[in-house]
Amino acid sequence: MSTIEHTSAERRRDYERRRSARRPDTSRTPDRRSSKPARGQEKVSAAPERTKIRFSLLSIGKGLDVPFVLIILALLVVGLTMMFSASYPVAYYEMGDSYYYLKRQMIFALIGLAVMLMISYVDYHYYHRFSALILGVSYFALLLVLILPAQEGGVHRWIGIGDIFGVQASEISKFAIILFLAHWGSRYYDRMDTFKFGILPAAGVLASTAFLLLLEPHYSCIVIISVLTIIMLFVSGIKMKWMAIGGIALVGIILLLWMTGMLTYAMERMDGWGQALVYKDNDQWQQTWQTRNSLYAIGSGGLFGLGLGQSRQKYLYLPEPQNDFVFAIVCEELGLIGAVLILLLFALLVWRGVVISLRARDRFGKLLGIGLISHIGLQVILNILVITDWLPNTGISLPFFSYGGSSLLTLMFEMGVILSVSRTSNVEKS
Amino acid sequence: MGANQRLRRRTVWLLVIILALGFGAVIARLGYLQLVQGEELQRRAVEQQLSDTPISAKRGTIYDTNGKVLAQSASVWRVVMAPAYFDNDEQRQFVASRLASILDLNEAELLEDTKQNTYYVSVKRKIESEQKEEIIKLQQELRDKYGKSAIISLLDYQYNDELTGTPGRIVTAQNGIQTEMPFDYNQNIDAIDGNSLVLTIDETVQSIVEKHMKQGIIDNDVHERGVCIIMNVNNGEIKAMATVNGFDLNDPYTITKEQQEEIDAIDNEYLIEHGFTEDPSKLSKTERNKLIDQAKAEAESADLSKNWRNKAISDTYYPGSVFKMVTLSMALQEGVVNEDSRFFCGGSYTVYNDEIHCTGVHGSQTYQQALWNSCNPALIQIGQLIGTENFWNYYQAFGFSEKTGIDLPGESSDQFFKYEGVEDNMSLVDLAVASFGQNFAITPIQMITAACAVTNGGYLVQPHVVKQILDKDGNVVQNISTKPKRQVISESVSKEMREILEENVISYGGKNGYVAGYRVGGKTGTSEKLIDVNGDGVDDYIASFCGIAPMNNPQYACLVFFDAPLAGNYYGSAVSAPVFASIMSEVLPYLDVVAQYNDDEMSKIDTTTGAYTGMSVSDATTSANNDGFNVTVKGEGNTVLAQNPPTGASIPMGGTVVLYTDQASTTEKVTVPSFEGYGVNDANYIAAQYGVNVSLAGQLSASDSKAISQSIPEGTEVAPGTVITVTFSTEGTHD
Repeated sequence: MSTIEHTSAERRRDYERRRSARRPDTSRTPDRRSSKPARGQEKVSAAPERTKIRFSLLSIGKGLDVPFVLIILALLVVGLTMMFSASYPVAYYEMGDSYYYLKRQMIFALIGLAVMLMISYVDYHYYHRFSALILGVSYFALLLVLILPAQEGGVHRWIGIGDIFGVQASEISKFAIILFLAHWGSRYYDRMDTFKFGILPAAGVLASTAFLLLLEPHYSCIVIISVLTIIMLFVSGIKMKWMAIGGIALVGIILLLWMTGMLTYAMERMDGWGQALVYKDNDQWQQTWQTRNSLYAIGSGGLFGLGLGQSRQKYLYLPEPQNDFVFAIVCEELGLIGAVLILLLFALLVWRGVVISLRARDRFGKLLGIGLISHIGLQVILNILVITDWLPNTGISLPFFSYGGSSLLTLMFEMGVILSVSRTSNVEKS
Repeated sequence: MGANQRLRRRTVWLLVIILALGFGAVIARLGYLQLVQGEELQRRAVEQQLSDTPISAKRGTIYDTNGKVLAQSASVWRVVMAPAYFDNDEQRQFVASRLASILDLNEAELLEDTKQNTYYVSVKRKIESEQKEEIIKLQQELRDKYGKSAIISLLDYQYNDELTGTPGRIVTAQNGIQTEMPFDYNQNIDAIDGNSLVLTIDETVQSIVEKHMKQGIIDNDVHERGVCIIMNVNNGEIKAMATVNGFDLNDPYTITKEQQEEIDAIDNEYLIEHGFTEDPSKLSKTERNKLIDQAKAEAESADLSKNWRNKAISDTYYPGSVFKMVTLSMALQEGVVNEDSRFFCGGSYTVYNDEIHCTGVHGSQTYQQALWNSCNPALIQIGQLIGTENFWNYYQAFGFSEKTGIDLPGESSDQFFKYEGVEDNMSLVDLAVASFGQNFAITPIQMITAACAVTNGGYLVQPHVVKQILDKDGNVVQNISTKPKRQVISESVSKEMREILEENVISYGGKNGYVAGYRVGGKTGTSEKLIDVNGDGVDDYIASFCGIAPMNNPQYACLVFFDAPLAGNYYGSAVSAPVFASIMSEVLPYLDVVAQYNDDEMSKIDTTTGAYTGMSVSDATTSANNDGFNVTVKGEGNTVLAQNPPTGASIPMGGTVVLYTDQASTTEKVTVPSFEGYGVNDANYIAAQYGVNVSLAGQLSASDSKAISQSIPEGTEVAPGTVITVTFSTEGTHD
């Protein structure tokens, strides 16, 4: 470990030197590039010539990936604006202050930006050391919430710090699993195609975490960490056989559930998933209230939307429009065009995140970046599938848009980690 | 393959999957919802977002024919509250106790209502306007105290569409708790105030009619109801229309217990059945309560209009002998009877195998005598001369086969044979029975309209109750003038019918319908109901009389009928004709129909007494004598201190005026004799003997007129000269 830290610090010094020298010659010394030999190193070195030409101009400011930061800032501004637009009637009616949610979210956004920048300076290689510790913290948090009193709806999700700030145990778990799998995948990169190293540890961590999440319960998070685990394993290089086996098993289970009628039962149990517009009985109608009004909002938007601030569904029809369903109000106000533009911004973020990750100088950085950016992309997709009634309404927030201090801070922290990866990767590339 | 190469490739795959599959699916889903389903979703969204508040139009006023206000803006209010707005029990307690005291409701129940977490609880419907004022005060009080009211009084349904105008609407956006959204999103559509109606109904005539009809109901123990219509013969204006013992004008809002139970039972299923909503449970509780309230209001409204059933136009009856005037008109118009025609009555008449009885044995009769005798066999023979098809054609022409089209709701149709194939359907027996007004059922308004056509020169007029429509500023929007629909019989036939009908009242069956000073024509009717109302084993009757006056220039027709009189005499001539006479003797002078007295009548006309008090005895006596009165002087004084009857009283010429000349004499009393059973001359003689005056009323001219009642009972001690009204009548004759 100390070797890695050392090399990293040394590399940064080199980088600083070369930056100040303003465009030095492009020649590189292979030994400086990596102190830890990796397979395929030659291939990596072949590519940079092109990438440098394409991206070096944008890579200003101490190696921070500026496009990525700009996309984050854009999403943050748009997200705050839309969250304010969606929340002000609720804030007005319930809190007596239209700016209630905006004020708080802006404070967290500013703190988040600071956190992001600070974290970006922290060499991500430090996290190698903490991966096991953070996994331990995750388990502790998951157990702790089970002991703490339940929140609204009888779920055990939040760990409160005083009355004002709370954090979801699952936020820690998601980061812990990504970190652990990045750590494991980079450490045992040459043995990831074995069952013992490739599948077993990941499956063990996933199963134990999922079990604890099941007790909360927090189904959406189980879905997210499952998919994240699969992504991480896939990228880490496990055998496609296992992917195939896993895929077949999943399809088999779903088919079995479907054939025995369990799936329908489960769907009905899950707050009337997929049936928001059809009246069955009063209970179902009440349960699907939020989803239905979300659909009304989305449908009302049409192609061009009702205009910024013109949503009607946010006037106490769509409950908690500032939270998970904020994008429904976005769709209503900005229409399909606005929604697609915002999704393109997210896609750009994911793409840029992947580019940054692939340029990371080591495997740990690549896996960590891919894991974190996949998490964002996944969260966006799942959130919109929820508000459009293709997934059960189980509480998946929309990054940068949904109100919530702790999740915004977690998000900005993760962005900081990706930026930290970008610093090292840009050292390599510029 | 190197590990890094694999990682890179797999990452690119992952990126493709996330972006293409994940984001692609999301965008496709959004596109479907916003572009394909968008319209439907938006419609459903707007449905819940808009509140549509009606602005009530000012209701028009109903005036009687002389401009007297009959009904004004009868809006009904109800109170609802939105208990979800209450913050604490103190507010709930306060509201419950105040509402309980204002609306006279149970406070504990109200308190329960205030605890519901809904935005719509109906508190009370149909509140009085004073209560409404109190509620408005309470609302203000609540606003002052708690910043909001949560009690809403709403304008409820109104009873008369014609007057309501067009309600305006305010369409506003509302938020999820049904209050208005803060931003500008409303559309106002102004209300158009209702027009006012001027009726042809004359309130004075109406009250005269109701007074006499009520008396008739009591006198004759009428079991079902009495109906009276007074109509302008020439233009169809209805001057009065009364159904007595029907619905009570003073208490029109009474709903029967059964009806109330039905209204209370209105639930979700009712809403589905009556098309209020496809699925009530789809709605929020507030919306559902609103709908149920609306359904209840509509059901109640329907029940009320049912209760208000105007039997003069909505119930049918067998017209009986009154219809004979129509049959005879047909025959005269068709020329199937003439001066030489004779109709024999042997007490009964057999058509094919059916034997139809008559009330008497009338022998050989002219057609006039057939009507005067109200002879069924004669009318049957006349009917057979007319023939089935002709009879049917005239039946139609007289307007019996269609509704009269009177501008009132709820008019019924007749019940008779369908014209299609009438020849096959209607046998000669049917025709025979129809000839004297049985076998088919018509409404009273149809009968009187036909009677008008018989006497007004043959024109079928359009009965109507609205004379003018005024806008809210009182300008005439429309004058309702009705042209006769058609001429049914010729002027000459009509003239002959008038003569026959007048003679019928002067000398025959219609004698009790005679009104002194007016040339009245008419026909009595006693129709079989074929129903045993009181369960005494005998089918009961409808006694009716339809008369028109004056016969030289017909102006007003009046139909009186009593359904199931059970006091003994059920003949139209005995039950309905006297009531007709009482009504017309007051109505005709009021309506400025000029009286035409004959000599005999002139002697019986009441004269007004003058002011004799204060004069010397001799001057007073001279003055009274000059006025046409006899004088009795009481006391020893020289000056008249008092007189009886007092100044301005009506007594017949030759009546006695008592002049008092000292105090002692004023205490003198006489005893009222019995006049009942005596003729007019006898009554005058008796009155003179006893020192009282009589004012004569009823049928006076007939040779067999007998006093049937007197205004002051026999044996009462009264001052000398007191006026006692004695009513005369003749025995009812069979018709």
